[in-house]
Amino acid sequence: MTADDAQRTEISGIRPEPVGGDDPPAPPSASYARRQNLLAAAIPLVIGVIAGIMSWQLGVGGLADPGPGLWPLTVSVAMVVVAVVLLFQSRPTGGEEAFTKEARLVVVAVVSLVGYALLFETAGFEIPTVALLVLWLKVLGRESWWMTVSVALGTTAALYLMFVIGLGVSLPHRLSF
Amino acid sequence: MDFFSPVIAGFGVVFQPENLIYCLLGVTLGMLVGVLPGLGPAATIAVLLPITYTIEPTAAIIMLAGIFYGAQYGGTITSVLLRLPGEASSVVTAIDGHEMAKQGRAGSALGIAAIGSFIGGTVSILALTFVAPLVAGAALDFGPAEYTALALLGIMMVATLGTGAPVKSILMATLGLLLATIGQDPLAGTSRLTFGSDQLLDGIDFVIVAMGLFGVGEILYNLESLRRKTPPPTPVGSVYPSRAEIKESKGAISRGSLLGFLLGILPGGGATMSSMVAYAVERKVTKQPAKFGKGAIQGVAGPETANNAAATSSFIPLLTLGIPANATMAVMFGALLLQGITPGPLLVQEKPDLFWGVINSMYVGNLLLLVMSLPLIGLFVRILKIRPAILAPLTILITMIGVYTVRGNVFDMYLMIGLGVLGYLMKKVGFEPGPLVLAFVLGSILESSFRRSMRIFDGQLTGFLTQPIAAVLLGALLLILVGPPVIRALRSRAT
Repeated sequence: MTADDAQRTEISGIRPEPVGGDDPPAPPSASYARRQNLLAAAIPLVIGVIAGIMSWQLGVGGLADPGPGLWPLTVSVAMVVVAVVLLFQSRPTGGEEAFTKEARLVVVAVVSLVGYALLFETAGFEIPTVALLVLWLKVLGRESWWMTVSVALGTTAALYLMFVIGLGVSLPHRLSF
Repeated sequence: MDFFSPVIAGFGVVFQPENLIYCLLGVTLGMLVGVLPGLGPAATIAVLLPITYTIEPTAAIIMLAGIFYGAQYGGTITSVLLRLPGEASSVVTAIDGHEMAKQGRAGSALGIAAIGSFIGGTVSILALTFVAPLVAGAALDFGPAEYTALALLGIMMVATLGTGAPVKSILMATLGLLLATIGQDPLAGTSRLTFGSDQLLDGIDFVIVAMGLFGVGEILYNLESLRRKTPPPTPVGSVYPSRAEIKESKGAISRGSLLGFLLGILPGGGATMSSMVAYAVERKVTKQPAKFGKGAIQGVAGPETANNAAATSSFIPLLTLGIPANATMAVMFGALLLQGITPGPLLVQEKPDLFWGVINSMYVGNLLLLVMSLPLIGLFVRILKIRPAILAPLTILITMIGVYTVRGNVFDMYLMIGLGVLGYLMKKVGFEPGPLVLAFVLGSILESSFRRSMRIFDGQLTGFLTQPIAAVLLGALLLILVGPPVIRALRSRAT
């Protein structure tokens, strides 16, 4: 739940004032939001067309005797139709947000998660876990070194206890007790 | 006494020490996620899905249910003290609740919210005890045609009544349905839309969709505000409302209980919508409308009672029809499926221990939450001091490791990250993830019941109209789709 959800939520005329911390994000300009919406309609449109073609190739059959492609084709057609409606109704709906420089935090985070998944099976879970924690706490969260190191080590130990010892799941790990 | 014997036996299930502990764990977690802005109950339940794998089904569902209704209590705290709703269902509480806090009546606001929530929740469980078996009984006769209509109606209602823009929500619902078709054809076994990947042959696991869109998506979205500072909470004071305040709130609490229970059953209703409607109703019936927005206690009591009553009653469609009524219930549906339980009209007969165990655990859970929200409130207010910068990496790691444990497969991690990025982008462009997840869950039910109906009706779509219940449901669907634009058109012509 964020300040923006609060702004978006509007039923029977109740629109709570923007709430939140000292720096709530500014809503984007109308043309920016419109461009976002056009793009957000175009992508599902393309996906729908591709999925529709693929479903058609699977064999559609008839309504009494449907082939494997009939249902996905129906869904794809519905998706294309709704996407076209959105293309024509692209005016801002109030939920759009601009991508600001803070979005860079998200990019770093996603790259770190992909890296985590890459290393997870080969290096065991302990080292990538500590590394991810240090990155998120120190670089993204700007915590102190003392906080970073203690939380990183404490969390890794706790996750080890919870998953490997407590729940007994087999994780690729280096340390054994 | 036939009716009551399984209900009473259900209490035996609740009071098994293991189940009591999971109930306590669930409601405590619920309070925590309610207090901490960021992860909502749907995300929390999604993130914990892999962990519930290892727990016995009844205990697991008792715990997850506790997280859901517990979050309704906890969400109030940040609404009142920080004007920062912890949950969507507490947004309207922030209006008068925070005004009360500014006047030094934060304690009264929290106290009346806790009492209202307790009453609303308890009334709703009682009503559910009688209504749920009736609904299940009626649904026993439902065939594929009724299920097709019901699933379609459920998806459309969630998409159009939710908080997002309807067209965007419907678009996401179709995407959810499309994602659900990936994998083998349920009848013929042909692989569909898998792009030749063996990993996708079994389809995308619901757990990954829920964890990705709700869990990872919300964490990524919240990262943007990671460095923003939150204001310090207002001091709480006494949480026991005065006799006058209780007298003022009586009507609001009774109206909230009824309203919440009724709206909770509707697909697309649920806690958020009922809290909004309850606020609107209170503002209408009050004799002092000027007080609203300036710290009216009814503006806290009504919505907080209603959201809790609705949270409880939204279990009815899930447990009796097998159709989740909102996004959180969709995740709960996934949790039941993970445990090998298919919710539906037979559940109450075939698994009375689970059914009544879960329902009756809510009495205990609500009582525990009342204690946590009155004498123990100070503990939870202190939790507000935990910084999101510390919580975010903890949650993401539980999510990443959790998804791996489901199948022991790194591919699932990549898939979840991908869906997480999708969830983040959706939030940025004003799309709600709820309709997508719900449609994904209902996708296979919808497809198989549609295809079975078509076989029965010999390929005639008009066959649906020969079944009275299905026809009524489809009529309602048409009304929802066509109604609002028509009304808007008529209104604009009138002015």
